[in-house]
Amino acid sequence: MFDLLVNAIPLAVVASIPLLLAVEGELVVQRGGIINLGIEGMMLTAAMTAVVAAQATKSVIAGFAGGIAGAAAIAALFGLFAIVLRADQIVTGTAINLLAAGGTSFVYREVQMFTREIPPLRTDAVLPLAWIAVPIVLGVVLWNSSFGLRLRACGENPEALAATGRSVRTHRWAALMIEALLVGLAGAYLSLALSSGFAENMTAGRGFIALSIVIFGRWKLKGALLGTAIFGLAAAMQYALQAANRGIPFHLLLALPYVVTLLILCGVAGRVRAPQGLGVRQR
Amino acid sequence: MRRVLVAVIAAVAAVLLLAFSGALFGHSPIALLAILIRGSIGSRFALEGTLLKSVPLLLTGLSVVIAFRAGVWNIGGEGQFIVGALAALAAARFGVIASLAAAILAGAAWASIASLMRLWRNAPEVLTTILLNFTAIHLLGWCVNGPLRERAAQYPQTDLAAAALPVVGGVHAGTLIALAASVFAWWMLYRTVEGLRLRATGLNPNAARWAGIPVRSQIVRAMAISGGAAGLAGGIELLGVTHRLFERFAAGYGYSGIAVALLAQLHPLATIASAAFFGALVTGAGELQRTADISAGVATFGQAVVILVLIVFEHVRSSR
Repeated sequence: MFDLLVNAIPLAVVASIPLLLAVEGELVVQRGGIINLGIEGMMLTAAMTAVVAAQATKSVIAGFAGGIAGAAAIAALFGLFAIVLRADQIVTGTAINLLAAGGTSFVYREVQMFTREIPPLRTDAVLPLAWIAVPIVLGVVLWNSSFGLRLRACGENPEALAATGRSVRTHRWAALMIEALLVGLAGAYLSLALSSGFAENMTAGRGFIALSIVIFGRWKLKGALLGTAIFGLAAAMQYALQAANRGIPFHLLLALPYVVTLLILCGVAGRVRAPQGLGVRQR
Repeated sequence: MRRVLVAVIAAVAAVLLLAFSGALFGHSPIALLAILIRGSIGSRFALEGTLLKSVPLLLTGLSVVIAFRAGVWNIGGEGQFIVGALAALAAARFGVIASLAAAILAGAAWASIASLMRLWRNAPEVLTTILLNFTAIHLLGWCVNGPLRERAAQYPQTDLAAAALPVVGGVHAGTLIALAASVFAWWMLYRTVEGLRLRATGLNPNAARWAGIPVRSQIVRAMAISGGAAGLAGGIELLGVTHRLFERFAAGYGYSGIAVALLAQLHPLATIASAAFFGALVTGAGELQRTADISAGVATFGQAVVILVLIVFEHVRSSR
C-alpha cells in the first residue's frame, strides 16, 4: 500500500495541475465575494478553444492563449449576469455550465478538426507555474498588496469598500479575469497536455472538486495546496490500484475522487469562517 | 399574467437563438426550426415522444421547485434520479407500487446525505449534491457492468425489470402519477402548514426561526421531499419507458429540472407547461441529431439560454 502511495506522487503532481490552477482561480474570486459555480463550464470551454486555437495555428502556445480567451469569454458572460445584472450566482453558474456542456457538444460535432492530432507539448512550463509561481504571486497579491486588501474587503464587507469610494464591481471583474487566466490555463493543459485533444465533458467535475477544495482549504492558499495534494494523491492512487488489479472493480474506483471530495468537504471540522459577503447579491 | 408572458418570451427567445446559432455553422435557421417543430409536435409519434420526455422533466422540475422554495440548493436531481431507478429495479419483484415507493425513499435518502452533511459538517449542499451525482453515475456504471449485469452478459445493462407501469390510453401510467404529483406539490406548498413553513424558511430563514419554525429540520424535510420527487422520476422512467438500466440512463434529466423549475417561476402547476416545453425541446433536438447530424446537446444549450433570458427579465422588472 505504501509503495503504491510513493509511486503515485509523480503522477499526482502532474495530473492535478488543472485542478490546482482551478482551485487558485476560484480562491481569488471567492475572496472577492463571488462563488463561480460556472467554473466547470469555464474549464470545459477553455479545453475546447485551446484545441481549436492549437489546430488553427499549429502552435501549443497559441493553444494556451486560445484556452485563456475561451475562459475569459465565459468569465465575461458570468460577470455580465452575476455582477452587472446582480443575478443569483448559483443560478448563473448552473446556466453557464449547461451552456458550456451543450455548446461544446454542439461545436464538437460541427467542426471536423477534433479528430486530427494536436501539436505536442515540448517543455512543461505549466508544472512549476501552477505549483510554485502562481501560489507565490497570489500570496503576494492577495495578502501583501493594497489591491489584495481591497479585493478581500469585497468578499468580507463590500459596503466598507464602497464607502472608501472604490468600486466593488471593478474589483470583482478583476478577480474574475484572474480566474479566467488560471482556469483557461487549466482547461488548455487538460486537453493539450494531459490528453490528446478535446472530448465531450472531459472536465468530469474538476470544477466542482476545485470549489470543494477552496472550502476545505478555508479560503487560504496553504489549505488550497494541501487539499489539492491530498486529492491528487487519492486520484493517482486510483490509477495505481487499477494497474495493480487488486480486485477492486474499475467503476467503483472511478467514483473514488468524488467520494474523497465529499469526505474532504466533511473534513472541514468545526466552524468554517467563509468570507462574509460570499455569494450575497450586491446592490 | 405578466409572469406567464415573461416565461413564454424566454422560451421563444431560446428556440430562436438556438436556430440562429446553427446559422453560424452554415445551417439554415428556418430549416432547423422546421425540424425542431416537426420532430417535437409535428406528428402523433413526435407528440408521444414529447410526452414521454416531459414526464421525468416534470418530476425533476418539481423536485427543484420544492428545494428552491425552501432555499436549499438541490443540484443533485441527476443522482437522486439514478438511485431512485436502482431501488425501483431492486424492488420491482414486489410489484409496481412497492417499486415506486422504493424509488421515492432512495431518492430521499440520497438527498438526505447532502442535507445531513450540511447540518453536521457545514458542507454546502450545492457542492455535495453535485458530487453525489458523479458518485451515483459511477455506482450505476458499476452495477450494470458488475452485480446487476444482464444474465446474457452481452451488453452493460440490466435485465428487464420484473414489473412495468400499466399503459393507459396509449401512455404509461407514470404520466398520471407525475400530473398528480404536481397537484400534490401545489397543495402541499400552498394549502398545508408544512408548505407554509417550507416557503417561510426559503424566503427568510431568520424570520422563520423567530416565528418558531424549526428551520434545520425543515431544510432536511424539504431536501428529502425534493429528492423523493427526483427518485420517483427515475423509478417511473425505468418502469414506464426503458424497463432496464444502462450507463447513460439519467440523460441529464436531473440537471434539466433546474431549467424546468426556473421557467415555471417555481410554481408547481406551471411546471407542467414548462416540462412540456422542455420535453418538446429535447425531443426536437433528438430529431435534429437524427436528420441533420446536429448534436442533441443543443437542448442543454437551450435550457441555459432560457435561464439567462429569465435573469434579464427579472433584472428589468426589479430595477424599474
